[in-house]
Amino acid sequence: MTPPGDRRRRRDRLILTPEHVPIRLSPAGLGSRFLALLTDVTIVLGTLSIVSLALRAIFSPGVAEAFVTTASFVLFVGYPIFFELRHQGRTPGKRAFGLRVVDGRGLPIRLEQSFLRNIVRTLDFLPLFYGLGGLVSLFDRDRRRLGDIVADTLVVHERLPLRPQGEIRLERRFNALRTPSALRRIRQRVDLEERELLLTLCMRADRLEPSARYDLMEEVGTYYRQRLEIDAPHLSNENLVRDLTAALYNVGEG
Amino acid sequence: MDIDRFVDERKDRWRRLEEVLERAESSTEQELGPEGMRELLRLYRLVSSDLNQARSLTADPELLERLNALAGRGYRFIYRSRREGGTLGRLRRFLGVEVPDAYRQEAWSVATAAAALLLGALFGVLAVLANPTAAEELIDPMFFTQSPRERVEEIEKQEERISTLDDAALFGAQLYTHNIKVSFLAFSLAALTLAGGVWILFTNGVLLGAVATTYLLDGVSVFFFAWVGPHGALELPSIAFAGAAGLVAGRALFFPGDLSRAAALRRAMPRVWRMMVGVMLFLVVAGLIEGSFSQFSAKTVPYSLKIAVAAILHVALLAYLFVPRQSQPGEAGA
Repeated sequence: MTPPGDRRRRRDRLILTPEHVPIRLSPAGLGSRFLALLTDVTIVLGTLSIVSLALRAIFSPGVAEAFVTTASFVLFVGYPIFFELRHQGRTPGKRAFGLRVVDGRGLPIRLEQSFLRNIVRTLDFLPLFYGLGGLVSLFDRDRRRLGDIVADTLVVHERLPLRPQGEIRLERRFNALRTPSALRRIRQRVDLEERELLLTLCMRADRLEPSARYDLMEEVGTYYRQRLEIDAPHLSNENLVRDLTAALYNVGEG
Repeated sequence: MDIDRFVDERKDRWRRLEEVLERAESSTEQELGPEGMRELLRLYRLVSSDLNQARSLTADPELLERLNALAGRGYRFIYRSRREGGTLGRLRRFLGVEVPDAYRQEAWSVATAAAALLLGALFGVLAVLANPTAAEELIDPMFFTQSPRERVEEIEKQEERISTLDDAALFGAQLYTHNIKVSFLAFSLAALTLAGGVWILFTNGVLLGAVATTYLLDGVSVFFFAWVGPHGALELPSIAFAGAAGLVAGRALFFPGDLSRAAALRRAMPRVWRMMVGVMLFLVVAGLIEGSFSQFSAKTVPYSLKIAVAAILHVALLAYLFVPRQSQPGEAGA
């Protein structure tokens, strides 16, 4: 059995920068791309309806319709190209869902690439709402649709940068474990790997499902309460874990 | 080194790089200024080395993930390719030099695509000449509600279908957006399957040849050429060009030679994109002609004039793309 999380790693693509620092790119899956697409389509349709209203108010019916037809085409092809170039591979929808189009070497995509991946979209779209493109990307190692294959681009998932609040959450104003003897015990008995595990748990707590979060915190908290002989019945297990982590990482000592 | 101290000492610069990048990604180089650029470069180098050190110090996924994302963003920003020159000058150079150059460099792909279309047309002509009933199998039955001659007589008797600017503009816009989408499909098919693109061109040729021959057999070929010619002179080559651009991309994809597939693609891309921009422009012009001038019957414009216009447009298109021009000073070797 493969542990969870291994699958994502296998798909990652490693890029070596000229500074010899390897950078990982995680190809984005269909779900987030679909949501980003819906967002973008909504924005385009909204813009288009406003533009159409204006055009219909200004021009005679036939000419107005001609402009609307043209505007709709230009928007659907031009909108992604504009944002992919001007905003480093992120259309508003992609930005909202933490996605970015990059070139196969991890660099920003160029005009030609953006143009090509967006004109092959007409084929990806067939026979019905990205049937072909979606199917192809399921079989591609980097989850690329046909347009990405022709333009040598891929859509990567960028983990949202840690929000500062996530770190500040460690710094509880009052730390029940901050007595010299407790601190000594904590630092002696908790080794490096455990520290990292605790830190990760705290950092990720916000992203866990509430019940999973509760169970985990209970389990970990109870374990350390016994092991470190912590006598603090008023302290909830989650707060115990947070205080413990903060103590280990010297947070809040000034 | 202790990981806590490592993070403590560096987290300010990580945050700073995040801020600088956020600003840099949504502004121009001028707005960022040399100071901002220098700061970005300095921070990027520091964070890159932090990432390398962090990898040897810790396995903390959150920290590594964050540094990785940050260094990746910096790398993308710094090693992006830049654009240069004034807009108008670049546009002139693009249309005057780069687009025709791309077509000349890819003359063999253009010839292949054109040959597929023409062979298809020849096949269509011969099939209908040999057996006039074959037309009914080759052409969609919806076109067979009346004979070509009846159709021509009806069109010539009626009022002009397109009589106002409104009609012409609307019809033209619908035609060119539709045709450009078709050209995108032809391009994509050729790029991803090579043979599929050639096949599409061939079958379209067959259809065209078959329709033309039914008009010829009914003795109304002058009408046919005057009716299809003015826009067809640009539209048919454009569809072949889209297929040709697809063949160029497809060749890089399937037969990259000594290069990696990505490198071959990247090398072909400037030409492919220039060819496709050309196709889009030609199709807009063709669509506007098809929506107006092509629709006029003999009452408004004599057929000889329409056929002459068709011939001139076709020759002008080919001359623009394939007749070498003297390169202007300063552009030599382009």
